[in-house]
Amino acid sequence: MAFVEIDGLVKRYGSLSIFEGFDLHMENADRLVLIGPSGCGKSTLLRCMMGLEDIAGGTIRLGGDDYIQGATDGRMTLDRRVQKEVGMVFQHYTLFPHLSVLGNLCLAPVRSRGVKKSEARDKAMGLLERFGLAERANFYPSQLSGGQKQRVAIARALMLDPKLMLFDEVTSALDPELVVEVENTMMELAEGGMPMMIVTHDMHFARSIATKVVFQERGKVIEAAAPDDLFGNPQQERTRDFLRNVLHIEG
Amino acid sequence: MNYEFDWFYVKKGFPQLIEGLWLTLELTLWANVIGLVLGFLVAIGMLSKIKAIVWPLTAYIEFFRCTPALIQLVWFFFCIPILFNVWWSAEFMGILALGLNLAAFNAEAYRAAIQAIPHAHTDASTALGLNVFQRIIHVILPQALILSLPVLITNGIGIFQQSALVALISVEDLMYQGRYISTQTFRPIETLTTVALIYFAVSFPVSQAVTLIERRTKRLLAN
Repeated sequence: MAFVEIDGLVKRYGSLSIFEGFDLHMENADRLVLIGPSGCGKSTLLRCMMGLEDIAGGTIRLGGDDYIQGATDGRMTLDRRVQKEVGMVFQHYTLFPHLSVLGNLCLAPVRSRGVKKSEARDKAMGLLERFGLAERANFYPSQLSGGQKQRVAIARALMLDPKLMLFDEVTSALDPELVVEVENTMMELAEGGMPMMIVTHDMHFARSIATKVVFQERGKVIEAAAPDDLFGNPQQERTRDFLRNVLHIEG
Repeated sequence: MNYEFDWFYVKKGFPQLIEGLWLTLELTLWANVIGLVLGFLVAIGMLSKIKAIVWPLTAYIEFFRCTPALIQLVWFFFCIPILFNVWWSAEFMGILALGLNLAAFNAEAYRAAIQAIPHAHTDASTALGLNVFQRIIHVILPQALILSLPVLITNGIGIFQQSALVALISVEDLMYQGRYISTQTFRPIETLTTVALIYFAVSFPVSQAVTLIERRTKRLLAN
């Protein structure tokens, strides 16, 4: 039994089919990085796992429990525990602009978990200190840089003690000089042993953080391997083409 | 013009005008309470996908936006008692008509604001495990309020001015008192000018504040 088990996932947008029976397993100790051309369903996969998309078929299991089961009539079964046990960070507009940094961190624990305000606050301050953001606690998102916003968003997800973290192109919208601070924060989490699934276009980062890289194209896993193998010695022609293209563009 | 100003009666009647002003403010307050709460609920309903909810709400909004406030007020005052066999005070009818009118306008302001909130916030709050009510209360409502605040205040102060219409159904508001004093004393210029200035004195600072608030909310919600 793997930690994350996605079996037979079917996802369609109207007549557009993203997945027709997609399988992916992930172990507890893994940091899985998803790469592949735009539109191949990497982000959609994370969104499906979080229960943000209706899936037409398949099962998503976490720690052996069924969390999401697709149904063709649009009435998928969703165990809302998934949203309590999995944390997710998005590309854009992740922070609530009407709340301070501290307010953003404490919202979910206090309002949806019934954690005491003072407890949530202490925990939030601890996380902010760890990320070097303590002096920003009372700032509003509009007063933060893009990199700081994303780090706060990571801290906010960690407030709920997730068993798994999903990162959906979290550095894609950032200015290049701000990317590193966010990637460092993710590296620090990785070193702490947090299981992660990461969608990124940054191949160097993918190589350094991943325990396993999955190359995905047109809704299928083409190749999955340890980063050194996948980047150093890709087995599939399509993987080689893709890497040649992106690494060439990246220079 | 050979007119001699005489402010004696205005001075004498001033406490009466202030009393009228208090009633006007009270009507404004309650109409705004209805307008702010009901307006939000209507806006949420308007965003629903269920046509049986959207159509009646659309009819309500368009009715109140496309008929004069005066006819709404008079209609409530004269027709509701006959249709429903209820006898409510003129003040209550005034508040009800003004409140429903304001709610219709506020609903549109809220709706525009809600639609301006990035959809990603819904995803982010869902991913944090907030249920639909927690999302509405803690994520959507506060942002919609902040975004639409300038329009809500403008609408609210508009109702303060529109409330002068209740004088026509014998609610003893500022307008009513002013008209009363001016006809009793034959001093319309002094009295009605004073009344106008009182309305102005309340409205003007508020409308100035709106500009300031607008600047601040834009800065806060800049992404």
